[in-house]
Amino acid sequence: MRSLFALLAPVSLVAQLAVLPPSVELSTKESRQQLIAQGPAGEAAASWTSSNPAAATVDAQGRVTPVADGEAVVTASANGQTATATVRVKNAAAPFVWNFRNHVMPVLTKQGCNQGACHGAQAGKNGFKLTLRGYDPELDYDVMTRQALGRRISLADPAASLLLQKATFKIPHGGGQRIKPGTLEYRILEEWIAAGTPPPSNSDAEVVGLEAFPKQAILKPGQEQNIVVRAKYSDGRVEDVTRWVKYSSNNEGVALVDDYGKVKMTGHGEAAITLWFSSKIIYSRVISPFENKVSESDYRKFTRRNFIDDLALAKWKSLNIAPSAAASDEDFLRRAYLDTAGILPTAEEVEQFLTDKSADKRARSIDRLLERDEFVDYWAYKWSDLMLVSSRRLRPNVMWSFYNWIHDSVKANKPWDRFAGDIFTASGSSRTNGALNYFQLHKDPIDLTENVTQAFLGQRLTCARCHNHPLEKWTQKQYYQMANLFARVGIKNGAEAGDVVVFAKHQGDVNHPRLLRPLAPAPLDGEPLALDAETDRRAHFAKWLTSPKNPYFARAVVNRIWASFMGRGLIDPVDDVREANAASNEELLSALVKDFIAHGFDTRHLMRLILNSAAYQLSSEANATNQSDQIYYSKYIVKRLPGEVILDAMSQVTGVPTAFAGYPAGTRALQLPDVQVQSQFLTAFGRPNRVICDAAERSFDPSIAQALHVINGDTLNKKLSANDGTVNLFLKLGLSDARLLDHVFLSAYGRYPADGEKQPMLSALAKSREIKGSAEAQRDARRQALEDMLWALLTSKEFLFNH
Amino acid sequence: MIRLDADRPVEFCDGLRRRDFLHAGSLSALGLGLTQFASLKAYGAVDKSKDANCIMLMLVGGPSQLDTWDMKPNAPIEIRGPYKPIKTNVPGIEISENFPRMAKVADKYAIVRSMYHTAAAVHDTGHQMMQTGRLFQGGVEHPHLGCVLGKLRGPKGDVPPHVLLPRPIGNTGGNMPHGQSAGFLGKSHDPFVLNADPSDPNFRVPDMLPPDYLTALRVDRRRDWRAMVDRTVSKFETSQDARLLDSTFHQAYTLMSSAKAREAFELHREPEAIREKYGMNRFGQSCLLARRLIEAGVRFVTINMFETVFDEITWDIHGSKPFSPISCYRDLVGPMFDMAYSSLLTELSERGLLDKTMVVGFGEFGRTPKVNPAGGRDHWPQCWSILMAGGGVKGGKVVGASDDIGGAPKDKPTTPAQVAATIYHSLGIDLETELPGAQGRPIPIVDRGTEPIRELFHA
Repeated sequence: MRSLFALLAPVSLVAQLAVLPPSVELSTKESRQQLIAQGPAGEAAASWTSSNPAAATVDAQGRVTPVADGEAVVTASANGQTATATVRVKNAAAPFVWNFRNHVMPVLTKQGCNQGACHGAQAGKNGFKLTLRGYDPELDYDVMTRQALGRRISLADPAASLLLQKATFKIPHGGGQRIKPGTLEYRILEEWIAAGTPPPSNSDAEVVGLEAFPKQAILKPGQEQNIVVRAKYSDGRVEDVTRWVKYSSNNEGVALVDDYGKVKMTGHGEAAITLWFSSKIIYSRVISPFENKVSESDYRKFTRRNFIDDLALAKWKSLNIAPSAAASDEDFLRRAYLDTAGILPTAEEVEQFLTDKSADKRARSIDRLLERDEFVDYWAYKWSDLMLVSSRRLRPNVMWSFYNWIHDSVKANKPWDRFAGDIFTASGSSRTNGALNYFQLHKDPIDLTENVTQAFLGQRLTCARCHNHPLEKWTQKQYYQMANLFARVGIKNGAEAGDVVVFAKHQGDVNHPRLLRPLAPAPLDGEPLALDAETDRRAHFAKWLTSPKNPYFARAVVNRIWASFMGRGLIDPVDDVREANAASNEELLSALVKDFIAHGFDTRHLMRLILNSAAYQLSSEANATNQSDQIYYSKYIVKRLPGEVILDAMSQVTGVPTAFAGYPAGTRALQLPDVQVQSQFLTAFGRPNRVICDAAERSFDPSIAQALHVINGDTLNKKLSANDGTVNLFLKLGLSDARLLDHVFLSAYGRYPADGEKQPMLSALAKSREIKGSAEAQRDARRQALEDMLWALLTSKEFLFNH
Repeated sequence: MIRLDADRPVEFCDGLRRRDFLHAGSLSALGLGLTQFASLKAYGAVDKSKDANCIMLMLVGGPSQLDTWDMKPNAPIEIRGPYKPIKTNVPGIEISENFPRMAKVADKYAIVRSMYHTAAAVHDTGHQMMQTGRLFQGGVEHPHLGCVLGKLRGPKGDVPPHVLLPRPIGNTGGNMPHGQSAGFLGKSHDPFVLNADPSDPNFRVPDMLPPDYLTALRVDRRRDWRAMVDRTVSKFETSQDARLLDSTFHQAYTLMSSAKAREAFELHREPEAIREKYGMNRFGQSCLLARRLIEAGVRFVTINMFETVFDEITWDIHGSKPFSPISCYRDLVGPMFDMAYSSLLTELSERGLLDKTMVVGFGEFGRTPKVNPAGGRDHWPQCWSILMAGGGVKGGKVVGASDDIGGAPKDKPTTPAQVAATIYHSLGIDLETELPGAQGRPIPIVDRGTEPIRELFHA
């Protein structure tokens, strides 16, 4: 992960022809290097020459082959330009043997032999079982050379080896022909067998990192670009592994990639080409800027306020899109209130803000919002979603303890590392220390392992429970090492019903289900503890979890908070922060994570930073260049409000609180500690069940059911017809229709109505009163008209969305 | 716009009562009009003459081929499992003793015994492939078959073209559930999700009618005023969610205004005896509701037999908690399916609907040929059996075969993509049809060259 960030640091794009990689060292006689002639408009068709063919030759496709120790300069000529790369050849005369771990395994992996559908399946295929994508070379070596009475290998006649006969389809093979005789793949297997099948050893060099060339390319739809990948080994060697890499595109609407690293652009935008080799993952980014007319002055209009703006701007420039204009004061205020505290500004607050002429009024309003009680309620609610607080499996007394612990933590602005750490270091009564109820909800090591990785690390580990994760680097072994960290969590009944006491046990282990023995407890890729260590295993876990060096912990929560304000995670889905899921702006996410850690995991600091950025304060209105942008934040992404926020806002504007069974009158939806509270409205509008830790449990999708509920359901209709609400107050005060509309617009939309929209509404209201009848009938008619107008406002897009 | 039926008494002025609302409102067609149909014709051939429907029964959890429709009575006990085969009304076809009612109508359906897929052996992959024909990858969210049909054909009458009963599939262990929505076709083509249990004694579609205290005139006025308020703001034009909100309101009004649509959902109109024949449970009543919906003009009904595989008795018979025991095929899941499926086919046939309504029933994979130490069977995408009926399928036949232990297809290996092609074929949709993907990139409804299971349509 560290190397990933380093490699994704901004790169300046070549202004003229260059050869990639610019310097090459061929350190064995079998080393090869594919070169690319890269020009400003992408890969160029070049002719290649070597200054010293006695040392190294280059073919017409730019492939360099060693001849003898020495140096050469390889020159590419294209479009009247030339560029060079230096080549050093070493050990060209030294004997060379293919290495099982670093050559044979990559061949099998690339050809798909050990994939899930073939011999990498849990049960293998036809008696031949390899580890999925070669995660255990020692085991695979044993299977290939010793199992089946050793008949898979023929040392005397390598070509007669079952391994090669099957792979080349000389004898029937369910997987068809995977390897053609005469290819490099064939030669590697044959020569490795001829050399006596040297086994993998602990001293084999391991892959420590990957490099992609080009790291980034700007191309046009239809254009093609080859990608070259080099692996760095622990012995310092660097090899071209382009041929063995697994390629995939995260956005096939922008770019496709084939098995050999050739990218073909299919549309405008940016795609991350995922490069997987030997459980290491990096990206090469290919960008096809939109065909917009954007001038430098369009970018100058965007006033940057902090580093978020610098990095967002860099992305827009690379894609040739211009940001929308700045949001108005009205838009900003309503937006900030909703995103920060889940409430609407009152009519008075709006008026006050609009009349304030000071330059720093937005920053001051942000500071005030971050101190409000409603802010605490809102984020306590969000973190309760994450922690699955619910009376479904917790008695009310401890459900409250859990909720109050979260609420207190938000109120005290407890740093995120302490919030998470406190759960895993505490012992005692869950009634007294609410955090401990986490261990009531997740009782066994399996559940704990999967929940903690999802909630705090954004990693979905479930696959690795039964076998190695097919899409990620996590192995079943790592899974059970992690699970063993939770093997000694003791739980016993506490002083009252519902209460439990959590304590550290001194013994107990979780067995690996196939090895049938416990493994040294270790947090994912962290340091293991000895099985007999006296240390509290949970404490060991907590230390790893919340360490600034943990590459996932801060990243996961930063992405969640960003998504909550900006409408979409930099990584999407918001809780799928695996390495193969590229961020839409990695530089920005990395910078936010770094800043978050530097500020002591202070969530409120991060929120303040986002709120104050010019990117957050952009208008949601698209311009001619960013209509289709949904992921680079060049306009504020409009989003439907969460159900609880809509319900509370309806209560606020109508002046009629929602009654929740068992809760005091006036309790807002966002103050509920529990999702078991009956509410048809909240169910229709996508309230999560808090059963599994999954951001998708909450739904923002509009549905016919929601429309039916606001049209026909009791929730909104009863608020409008209530005798003690805003409508009644208006009538009692005898407000004119015009003043009344002003007030409703301020409280529902946070703005005054424009003349153009006010007039038709006024005439509609006036017309509705043109009925004959008693004074009472007339009063009823007016009241109903007001209710209906308010209904129209409270079900409009402007109300239901944050924008 | 108010339309009044002359044969009903009506109070005027502010007195249009709730019942009369059923005759009020502008009844514009739901969703897409003719123009859209025309533009889609350009994308691919839609056989307009063919008025074909589909009911898709998602047997969530993955039925065991060896304990349902592909018995291996001659295999050793650890393979053949605890159940015995029984004869059906078609000579030569035998199924498990857990499905006695199905055995009596075997002439109405075909069994494909050679299904397999090569993706990861988790529930999600199979769900995606069986519902869309494809695996979710490369960020492309492929649409559910029913949503494709809805997009290509549009609605028939006032009912939505694709209805999902009773609820979407939730967590089954993997990443997010993909394949249940319209995907890249856009949310406006998502299915109408019932979100209620049709076997509930008080079952009704939530909020289908206005409350007593709201007159039809006011409901109409509110609708007009809402449109007036919304007109002035332009910033939502590029938001798909905002456009979708408008479309859901529009669909809601259409649904409310149509007596035919409303009645289709009213299960209490069915005689008690019929309801009981389907089984008084969520799945049984969903099947009955599906029949009513097809009669009312719904083109595609998806029924999820279960929402999850955790802590619920389902087809997912690992034999240990939180999953299900193998005995549930005899005690619960088997009878539940047996009653509903046989009643559905019989009724559709009696009403002359089976010929133009394909009924498909399948899980996401099969189960391990060998019974595991917990007495259950685990995931096995290498081989399983599915049920195909109606819509031109010739019943009473078996297509494909598995090996001696039900572990791999022996004859006519068949993929989920081919099942999708078969359904499209039955629905009269040209397999060359292309759909508009992201940025207008055309995406074929099935990968080029994918063949439907043609044997199903020949006697």
